[in-house]
Amino acid sequence: MTTTTTTARPVADRARLLAEVANAARIVPPVWPLGQFIAVNPLQGLVDLGFEQATAEARKWLGAATFPSRAHVATAVRSGRITADDVAAALAEHAAAAPDVHDAHDDEVDGVLRALGGDTEADARQLPAMPRTAAERYDARHATSVAATVDERVAAVCAAYAGSGAAWAGPTDRGFWSWWSRGDEPAADGLLDALDRIGLAPGDHADELRGQLSRLPGWAGFARWCDEWAAGDAPVRTISLIDYLAVRMTVEADALEGQPDRPLAPLPRPRREPSYAPSEPAGLGERVTDHALDVIALEAYERNHRMRLLDELSRSWLSTRAANPSAAQVVFCIDTRSEVFRRHLEAVGPYQTIGFAGFFGVPLRFRPAGSDASFASCPVLVTPDVEVTAQPATRALRRKKIAASASAARQQAKAAPGAAFAFAEASGLVEGPLAAARTFLRRRTKSAAGDAIAVLDVDGFGLEARAAIAETALRTMGLTDGFAPLVVLCGHGSTSTANPHFASLDCGACGGNRGGPNARVAATFLNDADVRVELAARGIHIPDTTFFAAAEHDTTLDTVTVFDVAGVPPTHADALKSLLAAVEEAAEATRLERGGRLGVSARDARRPWRRALDWASVRPEWGLAGNAAFIVADRNRTAGADLEGRAFLHSYDRDADAEGTALETILTAPMVVAHWINSQYYFSTVDPDVYGAGDKTLHNPIGAVGVLAGPSGDLRIGLPRQSVFAGDSTYHEPMRLLTVVDAPVDRIESVIARNAILRHLFDGRWVTLVAAPASVGAPWLRRRPGGEWVPA
Amino acid sequence: MGSGVSREGLTRMTKIEVVVNGDDARHVADLLTSSGANGYTMLSGVSGLGHSGFHQGRLHFNDRDALKMLIAVVPDDSADDVVTGLRALLSERPGVLFVSDTYVSRPEYFT
Repeated sequence: MTTTTTTARPVADRARLLAEVANAARIVPPVWPLGQFIAVNPLQGLVDLGFEQATAEARKWLGAATFPSRAHVATAVRSGRITADDVAAALAEHAAAAPDVHDAHDDEVDGVLRALGGDTEADARQLPAMPRTAAERYDARHATSVAATVDERVAAVCAAYAGSGAAWAGPTDRGFWSWWSRGDEPAADGLLDALDRIGLAPGDHADELRGQLSRLPGWAGFARWCDEWAAGDAPVRTISLIDYLAVRMTVEADALEGQPDRPLAPLPRPRREPSYAPSEPAGLGERVTDHALDVIALEAYERNHRMRLLDELSRSWLSTRAANPSAAQVVFCIDTRSEVFRRHLEAVGPYQTIGFAGFFGVPLRFRPAGSDASFASCPVLVTPDVEVTAQPATRALRRKKIAASASAARQQAKAAPGAAFAFAEASGLVEGPLAAARTFLRRRTKSAAGDAIAVLDVDGFGLEARAAIAETALRTMGLTDGFAPLVVLCGHGSTSTANPHFASLDCGACGGNRGGPNARVAATFLNDADVRVELAARGIHIPDTTFFAAAEHDTTLDTVTVFDVAGVPPTHADALKSLLAAVEEAAEATRLERGGRLGVSARDARRPWRRALDWASVRPEWGLAGNAAFIVADRNRTAGADLEGRAFLHSYDRDADAEGTALETILTAPMVVAHWINSQYYFSTVDPDVYGAGDKTLHNPIGAVGVLAGPSGDLRIGLPRQSVFAGDSTYHEPMRLLTVVDAPVDRIESVIARNAILRHLFDGRWVTLVAAPASVGAPWLRRRPGGEWVPA
Repeated sequence: MGSGVSREGLTRMTKIEVVVNGDDARHVADLLTSSGANGYTMLSGVSGLGHSGFHQGRLHFNDRDALKMLIAVVPDDSADDVVTGLRALLSERPGVLFVSDTYVSRPEYFT
């Protein structure tokens, strides 16, 4: 490393640089550590630009594909998944966005359909990224590979620093830059020095920084998470963006200074940047360019799904059903996997199911029994300030602590950078038979043991907080009267083995954790007599005969574990017993349905624990693959419709929310999370190289931070290939989220009008919004950007 | 000084107020503290009508998309540094910045 400056930089220069770094980082997704892995829109930093412009930035800086591949589209056209009607409608939509062009006519529709359905040897649309960094510009001029060398070195340094457990990784109390540079110079000054050495003028800093971050979006994204999302007690060693860039640019400056042809003259910027939205007509008339074909194909693809979904919903939406009294109400997470289980449970008996975010409105930090650390168990959009601890009996605690420390040491040894292979060599004689045994043995899962038997200390929540949480939860899910004698709050989690991305299968509303603790806390509040008095004062009367139980649904095994069974009153024991029998019946049907999608035999579908406990399994479950719609409505509207596990279902009582308060909560929080999930699946599918985590069989965990694909390289972001692809075929259908709301248009508009995030999502075409008909014969209405409502 | 309020014995300084998305508040706070401000006040639940429309102040389950306001007071000779960084930050993201003269009774708190 070379340093050239000893005098401190002016404060204003540092301030401008900090701001430019923060702005440049919007191009990369924040990358959560593995243990807190949640789905995020990888273009989340650019959401205010709208889908069209944000994806143009991604194509320009990351060289990313941002639309479904032409091969995928061609298959869709040939199979009838995209029809002439869909194309005509998409062309009309395209025309509506550009009013100076004429309406689509038949020969144009045919031409587009032919173009989309034709043979596609390769996707020519993905152009190589323009030279973005000083090293890339040098390489372009000299046919060298300096940029690749810089990447390799920086990635290795990041892995060495952030991967915990390596004794040689250096002290943990120094920042990344200080640790690497072995000096006390501020990182901002180090970065400015490097920019000077490369010969970049201040006016070129912003683009250079964005280009530098785009080279290794995984590590840059991890640094962005550290700056913008990490709590003070992050479970990993953090790297700030300014530290990351100071190290990276210094490595680059050193590498360039070692090259001939020094000093490095800044290359002139291209007079005209290469077009990443090719404007050459595709032979279909003046306005249908190659890029427009992508847009039209996506809109046609989405429209086909939208019309089929609305057809399916139309059958159930306004049908009159007798309001049978429910033996029990079961509140599931809005997660798409719940829909399958809910449908089968409702088919078994008189059970009403309700959809609500799986943290049940309780933002908390959870400290498991015997653990010294806690984690946030709520949506990442919320910052919890109350900790809930699980407290087992003393002897159990002691045993658990011993077991936990042994397990932690073993996990640490496995997780150290580059140690996965070393660990396998050193422990193979022992671990091999154990791994084999894990494949064939059925064992109790963590959902049924451990914290389930612990007592939860919820004293951190005062009465007012408990009542407010209870009221908000009940009003938002539309459950303010008609309580059944037994109401079960059912969180969810998953079970998998040797799966670094396990958190991606747990509850997103609980920050990538299992939802059982939140369900237990919420049930405690709702059974609290003092809370019920407060709720009654606020107009919600929970009968004395109603009991709230807590449970957890395992989405891999399709088992349901009920917590605190000893606390269930004798008066409700029979109701619970009957419900559990129904649950078992529903579980069997659910396993078979999921097995069909996984392509396994009925016999194997009935034995999901084999997948869950198989250390070699690359797909214990499909997770949220296939997700496509977010439906905000009373369950009566959708009950009976087969939504194929593809819809987030949030319950909503349109008659009890004239002001739109509950709707505002639903759209600004659960729907935002659903949009993030949907976007992650979308981009992991349309560009598995840039936005996906690659093949699971090659994953090499770097501490608790993330995975590499093999022994070195960038930190991988997004979902593993096996989460969205079945072999070589796309399993997940890449579409932007469709939100269907059962509310009057003017109420929806009033909620949008007061929330910028909704204007960004709906006006920016990240999410398509449809309002449901209020009466038989009324149309489904779709909102165009700007607020025009047209037939869906 | 025409309001009639005596500023006798008070020290003139510069007040900087920034309203941004909750998501961006951390960047503003970092800039303030790294470029001359000893501290700041952060207000959540900020609502109002801006040039892009109304902004709801408080959302039940989303702390990141509601607006926040940060207020800092700095010596006049640090104000340019602070403003330079904030203007660069706001060049690519929504938000408003107010800079005004102010008077404080305990200047040592802000230097």
